[in-house]
Amino acid sequence: MGKSWLRDYIVKRLIYSIIIAWGILTITFILVRVGPSSPADKYLANITARGGDPAQVTAAIEARYGLDKPIYVQYFNYLGNLFRGNWGWSFGTSMPVIELIKAHWIYSFQLILLSSLFAAILGMLIGIYSAVKQYTKTDYALTFLSFIGISIPNFWLGIMLILVFSVKFGLFKTYYDTTLPLFSLDNLKALVLPVITLGTGMLAGYVRYTRSAMLDNLRKAFVTTARAKGLPERTVIGKHVFRNALLPLVTIIMFDLGSIVFGGAYLTEIIFGIPGLGQISFNAIFANDYPVVIAVTLIGTFMVLLVNLATDISYTYLDPRIRYG
Amino acid sequence: MRKFGIFLALALVLITLTSGCAKGTTVTNDFIDGESGGDAETLNWILAADATSFSYAGHTVDSLATYDNQLNIQLRCLAKDIEVSPDGLVYTVTIRDDLKWSDGSPVTAEDYVYTLKNLMFSDWLNYPYKSYWQEEVDGKTVLVAPQVVNDTTFTITRQTVYPEFVYRIYDLIPYPKYIAVKYEGNVEAFTQAPEFNNLTYTGNLGPYRFKEWSRNDRFVVERNPDYYLGKDVGAPYFQQYIVKLFSTSATRQAALEAGDITSTSIEPAEVNRFKSMPNIKVFTIPTTGYTLLAYNQRANGWEGLKDKTVRQALSMAINKQTISQAILLGFAEPAYSFIPATSPWYTDEGLAKYGVAPLYDKQKAAELLYQEGYGIKDSNGTIKVTDKKGTPLHLILAVNTGSKPAEDMAFSIRKDLLQLGIETEIKLVPWATLLRQYMMNTVPDSKQEPGDNNGPEAVSQESWDFILLGFSTDLLAPSGSSVFFTTKGGLNFFGYSNPQVDELFNRIKSKEALDKTARQQIYAEMSRVLSEEQPIDFLIFHRANVGFQKNVMGIEPGISMGYNYYMWYFEPVK
Amino acid sequence: MVETLRDAVRKIGRRLSNSTRLIDYYWQRTRRNKLAVFGLAFIIFLIALAAIGPFFTADPTAVNFEEKEIPPIGFTTQQSTYNIESDKFTTNEIHGTWKHPLGTDSKGRDMLAMIVSGARVSLLVGLIATGIAIILGTIIGVLSAYLGGWVDNALMRFTDVMMTFPFFLLLVLIVFIFGPSLAFIVLAIGLTGWTGTARLIRSESLSLRTREFIVAAKALGASDNRVIFRHLIPNVVSLIIIIATLSIPGVILAEAALSFIGLGDPSVPSWGIILESGQHTLDTAWWVAVEPGIMLFLTVLAFNFLGDGLRDAFDPKSNV
Repeated sequence: MGKSWLRDYIVKRLIYSIIIAWGILTITFILVRVGPSSPADKYLANITARGGDPAQVTAAIEARYGLDKPIYVQYFNYLGNLFRGNWGWSFGTSMPVIELIKAHWIYSFQLILLSSLFAAILGMLIGIYSAVKQYTKTDYALTFLSFIGISIPNFWLGIMLILVFSVKFGLFKTYYDTTLPLFSLDNLKALVLPVITLGTGMLAGYVRYTRSAMLDNLRKAFVTTARAKGLPERTVIGKHVFRNALLPLVTIIMFDLGSIVFGGAYLTEIIFGIPGLGQISFNAIFANDYPVVIAVTLIGTFMVLLVNLATDISYTYLDPRIRYG
Repeated sequence: MRKFGIFLALALVLITLTSGCAKGTTVTNDFIDGESGGDAETLNWILAADATSFSYAGHTVDSLATYDNQLNIQLRCLAKDIEVSPDGLVYTVTIRDDLKWSDGSPVTAEDYVYTLKNLMFSDWLNYPYKSYWQEEVDGKTVLVAPQVVNDTTFTITRQTVYPEFVYRIYDLIPYPKYIAVKYEGNVEAFTQAPEFNNLTYTGNLGPYRFKEWSRNDRFVVERNPDYYLGKDVGAPYFQQYIVKLFSTSATRQAALEAGDITSTSIEPAEVNRFKSMPNIKVFTIPTTGYTLLAYNQRANGWEGLKDKTVRQALSMAINKQTISQAILLGFAEPAYSFIPATSPWYTDEGLAKYGVAPLYDKQKAAELLYQEGYGIKDSNGTIKVTDKKGTPLHLILAVNTGSKPAEDMAFSIRKDLLQLGIETEIKLVPWATLLRQYMMNTVPDSKQEPGDNNGPEAVSQESWDFILLGFSTDLLAPSGSSVFFTTKGGLNFFGYSNPQVDELFNRIKSKEALDKTARQQIYAEMSRVLSEEQPIDFLIFHRANVGFQKNVMGIEPGISMGYNYYMWYFEPVK
Repeated sequence: MVETLRDAVRKIGRRLSNSTRLIDYYWQRTRRNKLAVFGLAFIIFLIALAAIGPFFTADPTAVNFEEKEIPPIGFTTQQSTYNIESDKFTTNEIHGTWKHPLGTDSKGRDMLAMIVSGARVSLLVGLIATGIAIILGTIIGVLSAYLGGWVDNALMRFTDVMMTFPFFLLLVLIVFIFGPSLAFIVLAIGLTGWTGTARLIRSESLSLRTREFIVAAKALGASDNRVIFRHLIPNVVSLIIIIATLSIPGVILAEAALSFIGLGDPSVPSWGIILESGQHTLDTAWWVAVEPGIMLFLTVLAFNFLGDGLRDAFDPKSNV
């Protein structure tokens, strides 16, 4: 039984994704270029102090980066270059945008991956436990803790963790050391505080969601049947209830993974000094470095769209009843 | 030399922590300098305007000369000191004959002249500091004329005399002509040129060679064994020099404390704590940076500010001791002139010292303002400062965000003025806004481009009365401040005009000033006049604190602490 | 249009006050959730604090550099001043005093006063920005569901684009471009946060649309306007209340996060601004970062508790 409709669906979704990506690209471009600030702004402090002429320097710098041409010319030039694989030159950091991203994406990636794993695994375990032990003291305690987890502002949590564990107790370094080899224990240790900061909010969410999904399923008929059949409780929970709760949970995890690049990861990178894409795009915004801003936005967008598509497709395999028109 | 020297000096000051290596013995370890002020923009330094870019590139190429803490000239790429013709118009520069680019070809006078004429003076490159090489001749702005004499000698000819021009020449660094010609005329290609962005051409011109630049993270240069100045003594003595970037001052200071980095600057509140650490040493050094409060004498400021007595009265009410003691915790000294006390051109005599007792007197200030018509006396004899009609004054103080000490000073000043009865609104704005809307001005109803000084009729977009600003004066060439205080000065955004001051600055740039004694007298007169005129309130000169690991040897603390940084070493472990 | 709006509000108000039984019912269900009650109590306390607190505290804008960085009551720190001439330090011990129970910041401003005035700012920002987002989201959601067809398609595609756009990045961009004034920040947050609401309202409206009372109303000849305002909207009110309660903490945090990275309005002492300044003096004046953070945390917690409790109370399937 082939899923021919699936191929059509994927094609349709891909086209759709490209259109959305284009829309986002255009909005970002307009926002960054239309503002009153200019890449010359960061020069102004020094120029003025040395008696240079701000107007002349601003004009010179804009000419240097092709920013003096009319906006639509810049826009089409940019699109044209993009199609040919040239992501532009980052004037904030003086290097090709592609090189910049290649050098820094790994830091964001490892942070996000580890945080998601941490949050997902721990979250699911706690959620299952909490659901199974519903209405016990442990359940209430865990529910309460998960509320706290969602409510703590994650940037404040980061600062507090640094204050307590790095400054007062000296257990961790106050900054992220990039010279450590990626797959070393030292690197893992350096990522402990950032992962906790980023993962706590997600963790709490997963706990609550798993718990409620489990509870929903626990009440269902098939559970009673399974128990009536005499299956051990562990099998009932693990094999039947959990598997059914898994589907929507996976959706949420995947969605978080895709969209986390901006938001939580951004702030965590800045606080801990991790030179990932979040920090790069943040600095780029302040430097009016639009090629970088657009590039990072597009990456984030593609991730979200791809993840959504992958999730929807995986649904069709996980639940044969689903079919997309 | 000045500008570059200062950058180099300050950068070195920050860097000082490198490993200790006994002189002439094995080279080990890296010197790691901690910074949190933001990354450089480019290594293609001729395009840059931020100090960090210059300081990075500066590790790989030396300027013509620098100076030590006693302000003695220290030759670098110069073979001997620059000769000035008796009429003060022709400067003859002789460079060393052992300088080489990375491909082995010699660095010649041709490279220097090419850099000046074809790059810095060109229209297509738009060098940000072109104004340093310009002069006014018959009302027109022209560029000075460099010319090659032979392989190691070139001249720069001026048409007007400017005795301190020689310090600009000291700062000169060349670009390799044989590479630059490939990009000449095409600014986009020049901007992206890999040789310039990766400093691959630097040869033996600097103590270090470029190794790696991980943006927002670290900048690494490695020891250059061919360094023309160091190869005979085995300098530099650090294997690598690393600038590590941190996100806040707290994290980089913690790193110093933990021994992860070799040097970093210390915030005033932490200095005592760091000084008492067994493995850290902290040096407090004077700087040429000062903070000032500009009084708006243009049409869109309070009219009272055009009156000298009013300005003096205001300066009399602003407490400089609070600023240096309570805000900067003692790491500042009250300023009365634009010339720092460490400059050979500084004179204390005759300076009107507002803001410090006896010229810090709020009562007297109120009296003065009342005499000028800006106040009302109530039945007790207390004066409340108002405008000429008796309505309370509401003034605006603009300051840029991003500097906590500046913010604190603004609030302190506001409090001082409140005690006179003047309400001051503080506008905290980003630097670009401050520049564009408060400092830059145009003549109303004209179509001209906004500039920092479009003449006495011009006004800024936003009304303001005070602007708090940081500035600095070159130690050896304070005449650079003419941009600030002369009527036509390019940076005179506050609209001050005094023919006497204009005349003094003219004399500094004339033949008369070739004689050092004469120059001293002119500067002394300048300081006196400006301290009395109070076009701006000179607030304080800053002191910097730099911390090093105790085992770094060879540091000479002073205003030019980094001049010999290539000779520093880690004390050998016993 | 205005008349129907006024009518609708009046009708809702009358219905709510008339159906005390309904309110009682929902209130009973909410009350059983202790956490929700705590949340509500804290919010009321916060509102009171914001409203009348400023009359009892010191002036939060009064700087006094002689009293800078005093620790909260019960703590002691040291401060050193340097003397250039003698190259010596004078060190003083600073104790917390009741004059400044929560200490002072680096400009000598009273922390308690700043926290209290910050409450006002955060609450206003939360309410107004959420209001904007919800109104926008509701209008789009209801219009989309009710009008259907290409309007629905277009609006939903637009919502998709806005949803895929990284929210925080968009916010940073907008605020950076148009300047960090509080008005823009509130507007920006409101204009970027409506997507979730639109989706939820739309799906709820879609399901309502097919219900009998709507069909009946239309059969009786009610105009579109009337159906929307008198029938659809009142029925999504409960959903809106829940969405609002759960959105407010996100909005307050968004403003705090913006201030934290330096894009806040420096002339308004919100908790985020205080936290940002505290970040730099973490080692010498840790309380400046800790105190606003605790307030933010408790506020968000309270709204989450309440929102969760309301959601359970309004959900017919859950047995509270």
